[in-house]
Amino acid sequence: MKKHTLIIALLMFVATFANATNEAYEKAMHKEIQAFGKAGPVSEVQKSANAFARIAEMNAGEWLPDYYAALAYANMGFRTEGGLEEKDGYYAQAKKHIEKAKAISPNNSEIVAVEGYIVMGELAADPNSRGQSLSGLAMQTFGKAIGLNRQNPRAIILMAQMEYGMAQFFGQGPEKACGLVASSLELFAKEAAEAKEGSIDPLWGKGMAEEMKERTCK
Amino acid sequence: MKALFTICLFFLVNLTLAQTTIKGIVKDSKGETVPGVNIFLKGTYEGTSSEVDGSYELETDETGKFILVFQAMGFKSQEFEIDLNGSEQTFNPILKETINEMTAVTITAGAMEASDEKKAVVLRPIDIVTVPSAMGDIIGAFQTLPGTANVGNDGRLFVRGGDASETSIFIDGMKVGNAFGTTASNVPTRTRFNPNLFKGSFFSTGGYSAEYGHALSSALALNTVDIPVRNQGDISLLSVGMGYSQTLVGEKNSLTATANYMDLSPYQAMVTQNFDWERAPYGWDAEVSARQKWGKSGIVKAYARTESGGMKIWQKIPGSEGRGQLVDLKNHYTFTSGSFKQIGKNDWSYYGGISYSNNVDEFTLDQIDIRNQNRVIHAKAVALKGFSDKFSLKTGLETYLFSYEEGLKSENLVRDFNDLQANIFTEADYYVSNKLIFRGGLRAGHSVLADQTWLDPRFSLAYKFENEGQLSLAAGQFSQMPVEELRIASPDVQNTIANHLILNYFLTKNGRTVRAEAFYKDYKKILTYEGAQYFYRNIQQNGTGYAQGFDVFYRDQKTVKNTDFWMTYSFVDSRRKFAQFTEMVQPGFAPRHNASIVVKHFVSGLKSQLGGSFAINDGYTYTDPNFAGQMNAKTKGFRDLSLSWSYLPKPNLIIHFACSNVLGRDNIFGYQFSPTPNESGKYESLPIRQTAPRFIFVGIFLTLSKDKTANNLNNL
Repeated sequence: MKKHTLIIALLMFVATFANATNEAYEKAMHKEIQAFGKAGPVSEVQKSANAFARIAEMNAGEWLPDYYAALAYANMGFRTEGGLEEKDGYYAQAKKHIEKAKAISPNNSEIVAVEGYIVMGELAADPNSRGQSLSGLAMQTFGKAIGLNRQNPRAIILMAQMEYGMAQFFGQGPEKACGLVASSLELFAKEAAEAKEGSIDPLWGKGMAEEMKERTCK
Repeated sequence: MKALFTICLFFLVNLTLAQTTIKGIVKDSKGETVPGVNIFLKGTYEGTSSEVDGSYELETDETGKFILVFQAMGFKSQEFEIDLNGSEQTFNPILKETINEMTAVTITAGAMEASDEKKAVVLRPIDIVTVPSAMGDIIGAFQTLPGTANVGNDGRLFVRGGDASETSIFIDGMKVGNAFGTTASNVPTRTRFNPNLFKGSFFSTGGYSAEYGHALSSALALNTVDIPVRNQGDISLLSVGMGYSQTLVGEKNSLTATANYMDLSPYQAMVTQNFDWERAPYGWDAEVSARQKWGKSGIVKAYARTESGGMKIWQKIPGSEGRGQLVDLKNHYTFTSGSFKQIGKNDWSYYGGISYSNNVDEFTLDQIDIRNQNRVIHAKAVALKGFSDKFSLKTGLETYLFSYEEGLKSENLVRDFNDLQANIFTEADYYVSNKLIFRGGLRAGHSVLADQTWLDPRFSLAYKFENEGQLSLAAGQFSQMPVEELRIASPDVQNTIANHLILNYFLTKNGRTVRAEAFYKDYKKILTYEGAQYFYRNIQQNGTGYAQGFDVFYRDQKTVKNTDFWMTYSFVDSRRKFAQFTEMVQPGFAPRHNASIVVKHFVSGLKSQLGGSFAINDGYTYTDPNFAGQMNAKTKGFRDLSLSWSYLPKPNLIIHFACSNVLGRDNIFGYQFSPTPNESGKYESLPIRQTAPRFIFVGIFLTLSKDKTANNLNNL
């Protein structure tokens, strides 16, 4: 009996401890996601990227810290005023993190969407010479993300941006892209309604859709 | 149980007793502050980032011994042991830069790389295939790059005063024998390989790595696509033939099968030709390409191509009446290769493969039947070890089996030779910093047939300036056995040797690229002989020569919107004693002044890319036997204006129209003279002209796939 009590006690202890780390993880993530949402200049985003990288180190089995670190580096690539080398440096860093996230959680629509987002960044950094080789890859990656989860509004709005770029290139109208914008907005609304308080799941991208609707689909 | 919790609680409380502040400033080895450094205590959530001025401050409630880590992009991580005891501590680390493959200096001497993945490239793969004058031939595009000469009656690649045999072509590192289609004399040839096989190319006009041997002047390494992106079918309908290609892509593998048929007869019936064709060139080819990913990072590629074709042409003989000599030519060609790449543990990586080329030419010249067969087997294995981010060593083994047979079938005369060559090479790269790299290599070889062993040292270095421009220097020795047609007549001939010295400046920034290069090259042991093929006499190996000059290249994708253009000027001063010449002469394939301009402009309104290319040189030397001396005359300069129009009505449909020599200039590449003088003592001549005043190419390319935006722009 005594032996059993000890085992139960130990189990409870482990459970509490595990719970505590989980709470610490979620708390840390929540705090950094809030800060990331407000981060403006590249230097601030770098701090977020660093913070996510630290959390990733502590939680080797979680894909979200690497996912956010990748997203932060991709955003730095988009936001920096620096040259091509600097941008490519950020995208290379983003790729490292997204690869780690992929290894933890394969076939995850959110991860694949950010993977495409990084390709889109590399494309935007030098569209003249990378357009041909990367535009197909970006669209294919977003297509894969949508295929993995048709309810992922981020994959859809990113695809809409690529579609719009292609349509412009070929002198076509934005109808197809705008259809995607509309469906992403519906999904964003649904997602916001269902999201729990303090959620650390990906919820970003609505602003992108609203802006695109305003600018292109009026 | 309660006690256990109390202990736990105590333990937890104990952790929060003291607060320690760690602060300092992070700098790099130049003394500049580093912002954005990730600073944290290993194994905890405690961490911060350095500010714009490099300063940081980390407050922590942890106590005891920890490891403090400093991590930043482009620098080596640093770790410190730290004892957290409540008292303030200061760490001012100096971070050391790592060698960053993406931004570090690269050796660009002699090299012109086309890649989507790498930096310091001159062109992207797509740029090559859309050069208007190229007509879809990958070599046609290289002829607009510095260091090359346009030899319109040959079509092959002539680099810096060297003849066409001095350029070796490799696909995925494996040697390609007879990379160009067989043709009759003075009828230009094309590369056999379709441009859309390749994702990139490395074209070197000298000073190249010890990895490349059996090439005196130039190495062209073509790299095939790894795994295509999607399942698709590609249909091409051309003014000269048609083709279909099907690609199937799996999770870890892919298969592409292609078949093409080409016949110039209908085209030649419509467009005036300069040549007297009995049967226009025709041919078919089939190829299969398979890919398998292997493990985490390995890939195995297999490729097989077989083709067959021919032509019949009447070639006029100077000084005699009638249509002249009928040349009936049939060619059968097979190339297969297998290659692999694997990244191993502890910074080891491996690659290699094996290739087999088999070329059979069957000629009928008047009543004489000739059959030539050339076979090349190449096997190669390379291991690469990175000892640190600064030092890496590449070592490889290669063997070549050259097998050549030529026969006069009607006379029942056959002769052949086999040569086994073993090579070993090793090359070390040492980065002093991100700005300076040294490379040294050695290549040793042995030929069984020639009974010769040789050692070729190579060396290069590059320095990158603050403004991202870089200066490279390359020097080395390059050996190559003479061409098969001569080796068979004199099997004990030895290597011809060239020494290269190259100085290069390269800058690419904001969509503009400048490249300038000066070179000196000398040749030893060039073959001289009397007579012609099959009847070479008095073969000697005491010819010498040199080539010196410079070239400049400027490319601009920025200044004019939607427009990409590049211009090239190459100056080559080349003289050599070779072939039938008894003194040093300027070879007919080495014009002194060569220039070209390529312009591509995309018009959104027309959904079209318009292209133009203009090439000019100062003419080709030739020997006029009516006057004293060798190479005593020069043709008028070559000029060609080519235009192209690619129309993309739908993303998956391309209509391509191209026309060479729009202005219809009658370019002359030299003159043929009658072997004996006529009654008035004059050698009569005929100009060597273009096959036709113009070549007009119309193609429709349709891509069928689920992804409607896919197209085969690469095929143009």
